[in-house]
Amino acid sequence: MAALIHRFKLWPSPVENSIEGRAFVFSGFTVAVLAIVLYGQDYAVPAVGVAAAAAGHVVSYRERNRRRGFWRQVFLAALIFGALFYVLADSTLALFGGVLPQANFAILLVAITSFDLKTRRNCYSSLWISLAILYLAAVYAWDYAFGVLLVLWTLCLVGFWTASHLRRLNADLRFPVEGVTMMLVAALVAGVTWFVAVPQPSGLPISPLVISLPNFTNFQGNLESPALPLIQVSGDQSGATSSVDLRFRGRLGDAPVMYVRTGAPAYWRGLVFDTYQNGVWTASNRSFRDLPPYVPPRLLPPAPARNQGTFVQTFRVLRTMPGVILAAYPIESLYAPVAALREDVYGTFHTPDQLRAGQTYSVVSYIPDLSPDALRTAETGSSPYGDNLAGGLSPRAADLAAQVTAGANNEFDTVMALTAYLQHNYRYTLDLGRVPTGQDPVDWFLFGVKSGYCEQFATAETLMLRSLGIPARLATGYATGEYDPVLNQSVVREHDAHAWVEVWFSGHGWVPVDPTPGVSPLAVTQMPSHWAAGGIARLIPHLTLGAPAAALGSLGALAVFPAAIAIAFAVVLGLAWLRRRTWIRRRTAQPGESELLRLYERLQRRLGRRRAPPETPLEYQHTMHSSLLEEVTRAVNEGVYAGRWPEPGRVREMASGVPAKSRRRL
Amino acid sequence: MAASEQPALQPRRAADLLDRVEKNIHVVIVGKDKVVRLALAGLVAGGHVLLQDLPGTGKTMLARALATSVGGTFRRIQCTPDLLPSDITGSSIFNQKDLTFEFVPGPIFANIVLADEINRATPRTQSALLEAMGEGQVTVEGATRTLEKPFFVVGTQNPAEFHGTYPLPESQLDRFVLTAEMGPPTDAEAMEVLARREHGDPIANLTAVIDIREVIELQEACLRVVAAPAIRTYIVALLDAIRTRPDVLLPASMRSGVYLQRAAQAWALFEGRDFVLPDDVKLLTVPVLAHRLGMRGRGKAADALNEIVAALPIPPLRQH
Repeated sequence: MAALIHRFKLWPSPVENSIEGRAFVFSGFTVAVLAIVLYGQDYAVPAVGVAAAAAGHVVSYRERNRRRGFWRQVFLAALIFGALFYVLADSTLALFGGVLPQANFAILLVAITSFDLKTRRNCYSSLWISLAILYLAAVYAWDYAFGVLLVLWTLCLVGFWTASHLRRLNADLRFPVEGVTMMLVAALVAGVTWFVAVPQPSGLPISPLVISLPNFTNFQGNLESPALPLIQVSGDQSGATSSVDLRFRGRLGDAPVMYVRTGAPAYWRGLVFDTYQNGVWTASNRSFRDLPPYVPPRLLPPAPARNQGTFVQTFRVLRTMPGVILAAYPIESLYAPVAALREDVYGTFHTPDQLRAGQTYSVVSYIPDLSPDALRTAETGSSPYGDNLAGGLSPRAADLAAQVTAGANNEFDTVMALTAYLQHNYRYTLDLGRVPTGQDPVDWFLFGVKSGYCEQFATAETLMLRSLGIPARLATGYATGEYDPVLNQSVVREHDAHAWVEVWFSGHGWVPVDPTPGVSPLAVTQMPSHWAAGGIARLIPHLTLGAPAAALGSLGALAVFPAAIAIAFAVVLGLAWLRRRTWIRRRTAQPGESELLRLYERLQRRLGRRRAPPETPLEYQHTMHSSLLEEVTRAVNEGVYAGRWPEPGRVREMASGVPAKSRRRL
Repeated sequence: MAASEQPALQPRRAADLLDRVEKNIHVVIVGKDKVVRLALAGLVAGGHVLLQDLPGTGKTMLARALATSVGGTFRRIQCTPDLLPSDITGSSIFNQKDLTFEFVPGPIFANIVLADEINRATPRTQSALLEAMGEGQVTVEGATRTLEKPFFVVGTQNPAEFHGTYPLPESQLDRFVLTAEMGPPTDAEAMEVLARREHGDPIANLTAVIDIREVIELQEACLRVVAAPAIRTYIVALLDAIRTRPDVLLPASMRSGVYLQRAAQAWALFEGRDFVLPDDVKLLTVPVLAHRLGMRGRGKAADALNEIVAALPIPPLRQH
């Protein structure tokens, strides 16, 4: 038992003498507290914590060599229990109304213990608690700024490690201010030059490097997920059978669903429906074709006439979603790391299994010319659905459609007239309530409440267009989301779920039209004006772990700073190391020396407890009771302190006595 | 003796000689192995030793036994407040027969001098004694006279008594290579002391076991003991650690570092080694350094030193 306790006893950690190291520990804590302030919106405890920790660091540096006073330890322990009481009171009774009681507790804990940071181990503990505080802040953070905080914290950890080691090596270190400044300036100049010199044509499809774990399951169907609340997918093997029920609608939250790295804002189209009956949209055609996970352009329809270019989107799924590839249409090519893909007759791609958090896929889409001029010239041509258009619409709704579009003399104007009518005379609301029993949802919308969701608008427009002989269908998916030009990335949230209309224009194909008030009727894809920073972000390969890289990219030219700091660190470390090498290299190892010291190290490992730095070999040997160690210690003492190293052969002889792997006492 | 025929004293033989002296001293002094060895180490290191403890703990007995065991001349100075410098160094006396001044050497002219209760002498007398200790010579009436080698002073002082004492200033304490405290005897030791003195004092029958030439050889052997660079690094780090401690007012001088190395060299001889181990330095840190440190507040120098030694890493074994 005693031996067991002995084995687990920590050897004494050296007193931390590096004032720079302590500064890094404090900075790490400050970074963590900053995260709490930013994301937890709590100010009082963080401020108190930082002030107390600063005082504590000063005190513990000054008194690092003094013995721990008993009463002070008791007082600190009492304070920790006080903090514990605080967190209990705040989290159960909300006495103080704290936002993050556990984070506040951790802050207080660091502040209190900073009065007792004597050893290296203490300092590391403080840093690890800071990391825990960052973790707590991460609960509330999802943007890239958090990545910057994490990087800062990591720099503090590396800084402490470096400073502490250099101090322990007694490295006489002068910080090469000049060299580092030069390096920073050079890196800055190089970064700016590189950024300016590298051409960034906006329409150039740069295929992103996609890294995510491939999904090898086979098609299963039965996909139901609340993540796509407009559509409940619960169908056959293709996964194409699904429905949109106008009579119900789930509530949509603010949680992010996916990040889209995109060259242009667009609607992310998912399932398309063409059959409407009794308030429910379904897809009439369930056939599909199998495709490989990488779908090259040759397997897909050719580019639309007067195509303006292509753009790349990379999707990163944040939560489980149905196995439907959301993307801007029409698609030029597509890569999804899954076992196989299926394309249904509406051009939507399906994956075998649900899309899970972390799944990434990339799509290259065309930018068709959807300008009014181009569409106006299109003639109402043959419908892909023949006459199977009418149905589902009440006569008075059809009359209304005819009445609204009376003045239009071509398809485009008809569509625009109807869209404008819906947008101007109907109100968009999220508090619709239930459709009264027995009433047609479209009629109720058009003539009853006169307000509705996007589904109501889209359904009404689709059916009215059909009654006028114009082929139309319902498209569902997500709106662009919160587009961030800095990151070149959209954050798509639950409430971005959307439904719109696709109208058939001869020679153009299916053109998206959005009758929902407050948006442009033509959901055209437009090339965004590229920001300097956005350009850099686009050049960085988007990985599943791409957020830090994207965060760096968002800093633009500033992005070279962390890299420059890292390089400077490496150079300083390397210089210190080199100096140490050359300083000690004057003496070359005697024959037998390295062999013996290696054997000594190995023996210590086998014995289960290694020699503590303040322990002399002889003291170590006295506590370990091993006859082999006795012999080796004698040789080590002779070698190190008398310069008489044993013959390498003799060392091998001794080494043969070391047991191979067992950890038993020798 | 055999030792004189050898060109250089081998460590093993030095250990034998020292062992013989130790055994001889232990005829008189019961137990106290470490104090005996420390006192002897002071002699071998060529320095002087200060024994501190309460009266009657055997300080004087130890000094006398040591002096007797190594042969050579032995004088004793009982320090009192009215002791004059010339009482120690000696003075010239007018010889009326041939009308010249004739120098009569004082008690300092001996191989081993016991300065008993050194803190009871006046500062003036103390400094005369300490000059002799430091320089190995005395100057009386303009003539400088070199003292005989080896010259070894054992001072004793009673730390508990303050009346009529003149505590040694730090600069003079610095001259002693090491101090040792006798410490109270255990019951068994006390009974043994009584038993040995039942029919007389054993010191009366004590004889020399080595002669004074062998003492010089031991001192020479001590100088030949190797202190590796790692040991020097360790001592420097030790002095540095003392200097940076906030509760140390007066840190250890460079001389104390030299003494520490020399004492460690002497200590190695006791174990028949010709090289110093960090263990020697660790063991001698308190005896060599404690009396030199000035502490702030009520801190004890020995406690502070023990703390430093326990926490200070020894230099890395691998040096390339």
